[in-house]
Amino acid sequence: MNKRFVCSRADIPANGMIQREAEGGLNLLVVNAGNDYFAYQALCPHQDVPLCEGLFDGAVLTCHQHLWQWDIRTGAAMGLAEAPLESFPVEIDGDSIYVVSQGALNAATLFTGISDATLAAITALAKKEERPAGSICYDFGDPADDFFVLESGRVEFLLGRDERSSPAGFMLRKGEVFGWAALLENQPQRIARATCLEPSQLLRINGKQTLELLERDPAAGYLVMRRLSELIARYLTSSGSR
Amino acid sequence: MRIQLNARNCAHHFEARPGARMLYAGLAAGVNLPYECGSGTCGTCKARLVSGEIDDLWPQAAGRKYLKHTNEFLMCQCAARSDCTVEVANFVYNADPGACVPAFRAGTIEGSKALTHDVLSLSVQLDQPADFDAGQFVAMQLPGVPGYRGYSMVNFERATSRLDFVIKRKPGGGASEWLFKGGADGARVEVFGPLGVATFHPNLGKNVLCIAGGSGIAGMMSILAHAREARYFDQFHGYVFFGVRTYDDGFYLAELSQLAGDFPDRLHVTIALSDEPVPAHAQQRHPALRFDHGLVHEVAARTMQGKYHNVRAYLAGPPPAVDASIRMLLLQAKLPADHIRYDKFS
Repeated sequence: MNKRFVCSRADIPANGMIQREAEGGLNLLVVNAGNDYFAYQALCPHQDVPLCEGLFDGAVLTCHQHLWQWDIRTGAAMGLAEAPLESFPVEIDGDSIYVVSQGALNAATLFTGISDATLAAITALAKKEERPAGSICYDFGDPADDFFVLESGRVEFLLGRDERSSPAGFMLRKGEVFGWAALLENQPQRIARATCLEPSQLLRINGKQTLELLERDPAAGYLVMRRLSELIARYLTSSGSR
Repeated sequence: MRIQLNARNCAHHFEARPGARMLYAGLAAGVNLPYECGSGTCGTCKARLVSGEIDDLWPQAAGRKYLKHTNEFLMCQCAARSDCTVEVANFVYNADPGACVPAFRAGTIEGSKALTHDVLSLSVQLDQPADFDAGQFVAMQLPGVPGYRGYSMVNFERATSRLDFVIKRKPGGGASEWLFKGGADGARVEVFGPLGVATFHPNLGKNVLCIAGGSGIAGMMSILAHAREARYFDQFHGYVFFGVRTYDDGFYLAELSQLAGDFPDRLHVTIALSDEPVPAHAQQRHPALRFDHGLVHEVAARTMQGKYHNVRAYLAGPPPAVDASIRMLLLQAKLPADHIRYDKFS
């Protein structure tokens, strides 16, 4: 794992937060809560507002601009927030604070809160793919066997063929999941085209094998299905109506 | 001009007339584009131009400081010169059924009069009646003043041809200087609206807390007018905090007294004076109101302790006052963020 120095513990006010650039140019929000330290993306996922200008009460972080909120221990979205914060696991060595970068699966909201064992088993199924700009992840009518987790880059979706086609949104955050038809019954074929607009890193994971793992861990399966239904509700809105 | 707007969840298509600001064209077409001030200040309507050509109608807009790349622009200040494809990194939905869809409306300024030494009220008589929700605002273009300014409606009526406003004088502010130099009555203006999400409906089912600084009381008056009409305070409590510098800076005190007198058990109105102790005659002249000395969010914090059960808060006023109220409500009162409503546009 790639371990980077961020700052020393003394730099952070008690139950406070600062913005720091970690070694290698990674911009982070570093937070102290009691005896614990947390590191998150420095800018609000909504409008790129610096989160260090926000409000922190020791448990909940609020961006002052539109009151998006997150649980400081997990980065999970609360209240009005529509996206979680990307979290960077912290390691303390003496007075020094380091972050280690984590894989996209750990950042994926779809799998937040499931058991470590099942997450590790899903991670073992994941195949890393490096794709150049312009490459098509899947096309209309392709078998919907695998789903994808975005590690980096940008993927765009197109619904409908030829002149009647319409853009169906895009993915740009680490941990966003697409191609989730692979996790549904009776959805054997792709109904959209997914294209990488930039060089992109993806995790490709077999849907059927994932469902088998979740059947053996129903608590995890329940969480994933709940998240998946939220995801579908959010994206299955081609007209834009809620 | 045909605009294709690529959002995180899907693409929207709408028409924009030549010279029409893209934000207004999209909102008028029933697409809930991201915005907050609608008048070039906040940067919330930032978008990326994918293809096509645009004109920037107000390159001096303060909100341009939020733009990071040369292909980014403010939808509230730019008009399409050709068919355009633009992108916003937000989820964008269609307007809810029943929402008041904004539109361009022409009207005439009437009845402008001074309320204090630096606040005036005026009305815009619309050529066609319009609907808005209590708490909403319009972006107004005044003759010879570049760009639009956001002003909240004071009144509340369905299908009204009259919009009432209060305007605070801002030294050096083009729009307010134009209004304060006098002779505004009879001027033709264009408004775009209604805008804003800090709205009140009597089906809310919560106690209402209003914290307003200065001309921010405008939207609260509209909310109170709607609540009075629906006899909302027969059932729910209303807590209104109106912050001004001194007693002489206060306005609408007679109207607020009348409201408080109509609902003596449940509507509580406090005037917070930041720059002077409460003069003795204040209470005598307005026995239905409460007066206190301090910044409005501090007075609200003192008075509201233990009263936050089932409360929706509405905030308005100068941005530092709104920010202070937000901080107080989240950190001290522990009010959930989705129970706080405001539109920052001044």
